Amino acid sequence: MVINIGDVVYPGDTINNVESLRGVTLFGPGLHRSDKPNKLQITRAGILSFKTPNVYWVESLQKRYVPKKGDLVVGVVSKKAGDVLKVDICSSELASLSTLAFEGATKKQRPDLQVGDCVYARLLSAHREMEPELVCVDSYYKAGKLGPLSVDGFLTTVSLNLVNRLLNIENPLLRTLGKKYVYEIAVGMNGRVWINARSTKDILAIVTALQAAEHQSDKTILEICRKY
Amino acid sequence: MAKVRESPVATCEKNFLLKALSNYTRLDGRAFDEFRNIKIQFGKDWGCCYVALGQTCALAQVSSEIQQPNSARPSEGIININVELNPMAAAHFEPGRQTDMSVQINRILEKCIKDSKAVDLESLCIKVNEKVWLFRVDVNILSHEGNIVDCASIAAIAALAHYRRPDVTSDGEEIIVHTYSQRDPVPTVLHHHPICVSYAVFNEGEVLLADPTLLEENVAEAHLNIGLNAYKELCTLHLGGSTTLNQHCVIQYTEKAAKRAAEVIDFIKKSLEEDTVKRDQDEVADFSSTLFSEIQEDTVNALIGTLNTWTTQENKWKKPKQLSNIEIVENDNSVIEVVGEKAAALVPRGKDESDVWICIDEDVDDDCILIES
Repeated sequence: MVINIGDVVYPGDTINNVESLRGVTLFGPGLHRSDKPNKLQITRAGILSFKTPNVYWVESLQKRYVPKKGDLVVGVVSKKAGDVLKVDICSSELASLSTLAFEGATKKQRPDLQVGDCVYARLLSAHREMEPELVCVDSYYKAGKLGPLSVDGFLTTVSLNLVNRLLNIENPLLRTLGKKYVYEIAVGMNGRVWINARSTKDILAIVTALQAAEHQSDKTILEICRKY
Repeated sequence: MAKVRESPVATCEKNFLLKALSNYTRLDGRAFDEFRNIKIQFGKDWGCCYVALGQTCALAQVSSEIQQPNSARPSEGIININVELNPMAAAHFEPGRQTDMSVQINRILEKCIKDSKAVDLESLCIKVNEKVWLFRVDVNILSHEGNIVDCASIAAIAALAHYRRPDVTSDGEEIIVHTYSQRDPVPTVLHHHPICVSYAVFNEGEVLLADPTLLEENVAEAHLNIGLNAYKELCTLHLGGSTTLNQHCVIQYTEKAAKRAAEVIDFIKKSLEEDTVKRDQDEVADFSSTLFSEIQEDTVNALIGTLNTWTTQENKWKKPKQLSNIEIVENDNSVIEVVGEKAAALVPRGKDESDVWICIDEDVDDDCILIES
């Protein structure tokens, strides 16, 4: 059976004649290297996607988050132990975040984070056998957009698939909402989305829009957004 | 296996919820005393019942066996109620393990159904002191989105009402249990239908939310579970958590709960009747059809929700034109327009009736031109 791009695939299927650039093929979640040359094994049910020239991945509906190095996530502080904060990032294990991993933090001057506060952080390391580690600075010790999130906003959980779609640069939903409302948003790869806007009503409206977008295809969203 | 923890409630979620409550809004847009929609579906077997209360779902199954009665009550059957919290409902539930929560839910249900003597236990006696029926009600929670107690109690009572036990005859010595095909099975005798109605208490009894969602449940100070039947008879009253609640408040909400209980019990009875009609016509009941319709309905509602959300701010773009479930109720000089589920608008009617409705097509065109230019 020939599998085309955009087909629904199941674990065990193989893709033949994989496109490559100078002998290199990049493949994302849901795919596994096959023993035979020019072939990829599928390990997850979903829609096969491809981006020129050589990137493959399977888009599936998953709710459980598995940490990956470099992901930007929204976490909730759930424990404080000396210099280290334990942060819940919806994964199987709590992630650790050092209080020194913030911009300008020293032993004497550290951010005031309480249990229950939200942080937007990047995963520094994620291994199967190890506790994930978070940082709130980039490699130049600058915070950028990372750091503690205000307690005025609201935290909601959406599916991982929707997060990927929202972060797609071609998806107009967040931009269209921006025309109507003044708002701040932090979309974590772990499915948590933090939203802050001027009023409670605005936040609720944005949350409803995100929940509604969950059931819509990209095409429908694009069509609706075009009307504004 | 490592234990999955319950994700903690973030401070911002809590603050936001409380702020919204002070503005008299709930996060899902319900009124404070508004309940979520109930869906009741019966399975192929007798005593198999699926109940969905919003996103919270439970599946109840009644089974029976013959046992020796309790020596204190030799002429009464036995009924066991067992609520199972699976990891399917929420990742932090552990299978086959008793937690404070599961014990509490079990106890509330037992008090509500068993201790209120809803089931006629004497009718379950086969031979005094020797053989009685033991009914076992297994309630599995399939999805936990708050208010498990209400959902489980509705599922349990509906399953009991739906259940039919095999007929039993005796020829003096031997007891013969007839299969369903030999003799018509015997329905359970229920004296009344008690169900639970729950409220979440905020601000020391200032705000009581009916049918709390998961977040509301986690943030609330206390929970008030009221078990009632259709005749306003109180079967259970449970106040968990720590708050100060005055007596008038409890009485007032018990009154409200009584109304709700009557409605729900009516609905259960209606669903049972519908099921009987279906079974008479030999329609095989299964859950697959429900599942499909549910998904479709959700998608349609979501689409409408999106459109309305975006039109609330600036009403340039009017409501979706063709809603299949639009219903227009005539009033004296105003029209109530029902838009989707639990949403309605009161539109005043002008003198010239023909020109009351704005022509939507023109508006849309205008907008399009604006955007293009």
